[in-house]
Amino acid sequence: MKKLFDRVFDGADEMYALAEKSIAEAMDELGADAPLAMPNTAYYLANFLSYTKRQVTTVGGLAEAFEEAKAWNTREDNTSGVFKTGFGVFMAAEAIEACKYARGADPYEGNYHGHLSDAEVRELGVPLVTNDIPGFVVIYGRAPSDEEAVDIIKGYQTRGIFVFLLGEIIEQARRRELNMGFPVRVVAVGPDIWQVAHIISFVNRAAMIFGAVQPGDRWELDEYTFWRIHAFVNVYEPVSDLVVSCGAGAIAMGFPVITDDENDMWPVPKTLLIQKDTRRFIETSLEARDIKLKITNVDIPVAFASAFEGEIVRKPDTRVDYDGSRFDSFELVRTLEAHEIEDHRIEVFGPDIDETPEGEKLGIGFIAEVAGKNMQKDFEPVFERNFHYFVNCAEGVMHTGQRDIIRVRVSKAAFDAGFRLKHLGEILYAKIMSEYDTVVDKCQVKIYTKPDDLKRLRAEANEVYDTRDARLKTLTDESVEVFYNCILCQSFSPSHVCIVTPERLGLCGAVSWLDAKATNQLNPQGPCQVVTKERVIDPEIGIWEDVNENVVASSHGNLESVSLYSIMVDPMTSCGCFECICGIEPFSNGVVIVNREHVGITPLGMTFPEMASMTGGGVQTPGFMGHGKHFIASRKFMKAEGGSARIVWMPKALKDLVAGKLNATAKELYGIENFTDLIGDETIAEDPEKLMEFLAEKGHPALEMEPMF
Amino acid sequence: MRKEELNFTTVEQLEADTEKLRGMAAGAGAETWQERKEKQQPQCKFGEEGICCRICSMGPCRITPKADRGICGADAHTIAGRHYLRMAAAGSAAHSDHAREMAHALLKSSPDGQFRIRDEAKLMRIAAEWGIEAEGRDIYDVAHDVALHGLNEFGKPFGTLDYIRRATDERQELWDREEIAPRAIDREVSTSLHMTHMGNTADAPTLVRQSLRVGMADGWGGSMIGTDFSDILFGTPTARATEGNLGVLEQDMVNIVVHGHDPAFSEMMVLAAELPELQERAKSVGAKGINMTGLCCTANEVAMRHGVRMVGNFLQQENAVLTGAVEMMCVDIQCIFPALAPLTDCFHTLFVTSSPVARIPGSIYVKFETETAFEQAKKLVEEAVDNYKNRDPQKVFIPEHKEEAAVGYPCEQIISELDDVTSSHEVLTVNGGAQERGSYKPAIDAIRAGVLRGAVAMVGCNNPKVRPDYSHIDIMKTLMEHDILVVTTGCAAQAAAKSGLMSKEAKELCGDGLRRVCTLVGIPPILHMGACVDISRMMLLATGIAKDWGVGITKIPVVGCAPEWMSEKAVAIANYVVATGLDVYLGIKPQVHGSEQMVNLITEGTREISGAGYTISTDPDELVKAIIEGIEAKRKLLDI
Repeated sequence: MKKLFDRVFDGADEMYALAEKSIAEAMDELGADAPLAMPNTAYYLANFLSYTKRQVTTVGGLAEAFEEAKAWNTREDNTSGVFKTGFGVFMAAEAIEACKYARGADPYEGNYHGHLSDAEVRELGVPLVTNDIPGFVVIYGRAPSDEEAVDIIKGYQTRGIFVFLLGEIIEQARRRELNMGFPVRVVAVGPDIWQVAHIISFVNRAAMIFGAVQPGDRWELDEYTFWRIHAFVNVYEPVSDLVVSCGAGAIAMGFPVITDDENDMWPVPKTLLIQKDTRRFIETSLEARDIKLKITNVDIPVAFASAFEGEIVRKPDTRVDYDGSRFDSFELVRTLEAHEIEDHRIEVFGPDIDETPEGEKLGIGFIAEVAGKNMQKDFEPVFERNFHYFVNCAEGVMHTGQRDIIRVRVSKAAFDAGFRLKHLGEILYAKIMSEYDTVVDKCQVKIYTKPDDLKRLRAEANEVYDTRDARLKTLTDESVEVFYNCILCQSFSPSHVCIVTPERLGLCGAVSWLDAKATNQLNPQGPCQVVTKERVIDPEIGIWEDVNENVVASSHGNLESVSLYSIMVDPMTSCGCFECICGIEPFSNGVVIVNREHVGITPLGMTFPEMASMTGGGVQTPGFMGHGKHFIASRKFMKAEGGSARIVWMPKALKDLVAGKLNATAKELYGIENFTDLIGDETIAEDPEKLMEFLAEKGHPALEMEPMF
Repeated sequence: MRKEELNFTTVEQLEADTEKLRGMAAGAGAETWQERKEKQQPQCKFGEEGICCRICSMGPCRITPKADRGICGADAHTIAGRHYLRMAAAGSAAHSDHAREMAHALLKSSPDGQFRIRDEAKLMRIAAEWGIEAEGRDIYDVAHDVALHGLNEFGKPFGTLDYIRRATDERQELWDREEIAPRAIDREVSTSLHMTHMGNTADAPTLVRQSLRVGMADGWGGSMIGTDFSDILFGTPTARATEGNLGVLEQDMVNIVVHGHDPAFSEMMVLAAELPELQERAKSVGAKGINMTGLCCTANEVAMRHGVRMVGNFLQQENAVLTGAVEMMCVDIQCIFPALAPLTDCFHTLFVTSSPVARIPGSIYVKFETETAFEQAKKLVEEAVDNYKNRDPQKVFIPEHKEEAAVGYPCEQIISELDDVTSSHEVLTVNGGAQERGSYKPAIDAIRAGVLRGAVAMVGCNNPKVRPDYSHIDIMKTLMEHDILVVTTGCAAQAAAKSGLMSKEAKELCGDGLRRVCTLVGIPPILHMGACVDISRMMLLATGIAKDWGVGITKIPVVGCAPEWMSEKAVAIANYVVATGLDVYLGIKPQVHGSEQMVNLITEGTREISGAGYTISTDPDELVKAIIEGIEAKRKLLDI
């Protein structure tokens, strides 16, 4: 039997030879000075950066970095040597890929995903910490049959596992017309083993973004990938030395490899497993990586998993389209007395899907009625906001919006599988009862589709929404007794802590003060703990002695002090999964805000990923701050520096999203009407000079304000 | 934690603490081993080389350039060989007599007595192994039959020891063929003394062969019985956390140190110290409570069964007293300095001996009786508490150093840890079979793949001939760096504990392979298997690995190392380890170097008998290099 370590070294030699050839060709063709970068990342070639600290920007730079990487191909006959070689292989693979991207931003022309952007990394922050994505699998090779290829992919997908595909399995899935893509968490990365570099780059950036792992810090990187990234690898036979060398790198990172190939294969418990029955890859893998699944049994005829949350049901595939923008629609949670509820009763009032002509548009309303000794009215909107996620998790069902502007589409495939309206009720029932079991004792669901009912009930719902909004308005940082912290992200970003207040939601945008309160009540030992605010130090900047004490404790001593309303003095840290980042624009005395979805450049000369890379991982960076979208319109938004009047630029889409509330706040605080008209966007300016001209022309208030530093 | 942040206690820090304590000794007018060693210089060269014969009163005879034979005609080889065999016999006698005490305790066990059955499953396993009817019987009746059967092993008139049937078939055949299968334990000891009597065996190879056999009577006889019966009576140890080094003594508590090797007495002391009334009594004299600690192998016994903290190893016994903070030192058997009596006279420390086997002038002798053990222990703890008031604050200095240690990894615990990393999905393993629980196969797979290179059993004492603990620690660290798992017992284990190497964090000092194994399995890189009597556990571990692997025991990359050994027990151990088929690396020369033939016999000659032998080097760096080369050579032969 050929020894395992020898296979790694021989495979590494192959990968290095391929890289050497790629680099030589790129040098010949493009020249040493030609720029070389992966698209939409602030982390250069993230593998080279992570392992060697090198910031590669040109073809010549890559050639130089590669020379250094050669020392990583150790041929040292022990595990340390093998692990190091595995990392070297990932650099060599990245070099091969980088040479392709040096010739154009999309070498795969949409056929394969290839490189993953920083925004994609950040997008996964929240689902990872909530365990909606309990892990990642990389599948390489050719499954025994096309059918089995689809089965394993869907098997992982329905368990919430994020799937990266490499090699022939992609074609197998395509032949079976499997829906793939980042939103459904099945990514066809590339046809060859060296595209594994993109997956590793993704992981390495997660470590830098969420874990504040410094480039070159092997120990920290190893700890991060081992403990925080629950990834593993499935490889179908035959497994070549080249693939074994990549496996060494995966194993070095803590990702076990499961294969059915026993030729020259050396099993190692929890590390390299030989499972001859490929149909049992999933269970074998999950156990090897210690992945425990959060399972909610939902009695519906289609798959139910967080992986389908991002799935889009397109018009031609739609069986029925409940469109709240044209027909009365709504969703609502109501608290009743226990005796008023028959647990698990699901009622449908009006025509069901099969009683509706194909492609028809109409309205829908659903009410979940709950009762429980510990239930509070304040929890109603918390549950209700999650309807979006609950409903979306059903395969072939899409939900957008909230309150009375919802839209629900059911695909033909789901319908054919037997999906009916009562299943919508089943989903809401099952999720409410499992997620909120500590406060909800009983639950029943009512679904309406008759126009008369919808009109009447929508008006009722609107009254409820109004009452809630009135209540929300009274919820200010001053009016509440306590704040909450949120350390949900610490499973991922170990030293970050959010302080959540009524006027400042968590930076991921997913945790409001009410959410935090509910989370705390649902699980008193859970991620959201009460933070008292009795000993005020400075109410303007937002400093409390007891808040600081909590921050010290909950960040494990990483932070000493946090100012809730300042971006200059001890600003709140970020985990890395923030919705927006805000940074100082020095010419105007203002700040620029950019959201994760925006791909263009900002007047700071930086993109979202670049700005985002300035902070994150629980590090305080004065002048930069991650935050949620809805914080922009808060009266507490950088109040210490003068508030939202400092905002000079936002991407247009973001500006439109927050305009209503932001304008109201600006009117209240500064007496300015239509404040967003004074704020620049990418259609107006992408450089500071043009922006300044625009701001001067509009008389933007920031220009008159005190310098921030 | 990062390697750089570990900040484990270094040998230099241990030595600095010892120096400070020697200062305390000088202040108190006390003498320590360092001064006595000084006074002993130069040590007798003839004795050192094993060529001074005192066996009959014609002598002493010494072999010199002008006298190559003693009066009877015994040459250097005969004299060194006889001496060597006598050491092995004495060692075997010591462990086995300890075991006999345990057998008597088991015989007297009763549901409402001082000694009860704590591991019924193990009792039943041994009963089945020995063909003792257990079905439908009271477990104490079974226990008494097992005890009697065990006692019979000491003097059985015919046949060989029953436990050797636990060995691989290959070993059993080899032992029979080579005539080193041990007969009754006492028989082997007696025969050894007889063979070395004036006028008997003069043939060095025969003496060496009998050394193996009397060693076997220990490892596969006395020690194995001692270990098993201790487990039955006090529970098979399980993984638990403790701390090691002088820093475990507490400034404001009543400190009691139990020292020696026999767990029967110390178990009672530990249980007594936990009594609320005695804890209260401690508070009434102004202490915060009672701090029960252990020293030497007694510490190993109680640490792995109760988490009792470990003050230190053999050469630290005087240091413990020199802290001036020990109210009572209670000793049982073996490795106890008679010097403790005059030393404790310089402090308030009460020095209590408890065994008729280890009577020491100047001590308080409380003869430990199985019928009244607990009452006696209670009374002693009371006396220790009452002695707290006599502590002289002027004489107190407790070094701060102590380290966390994860202890308690007998074979059963190792298997259980391996079960936790065994897939429940019928994945393939070594030689293509399916992975299964209750085996060593997961570890074997890791060794075959090269993740782990092998395993070394680090055992043995301290010896003033070398820097105390330095060789242990130096060798262990190097092995860890090279992905070699260490299992340890005795004073070697204590050295590991003192230097932090037995903590789970110590994985950071390992090569990536061993580090990963420690992380996945959740174990420290050095597995604590117990006291020196528990080296029998190591024989079963190696046997289990060989069986599960399906290769001969001499082929597996597992060896033993005793870098600082000193006692006769160590000679017995080294012999049974070699007889079992495992190479032994020694850091102290056995006292046979006056005979070239003997040196050759123990380093090479035994290889022709059992397939294993000694490698000797007093330089720890050389020694560990040889170990690693030895392990890699075995790997090469296995084509892995």
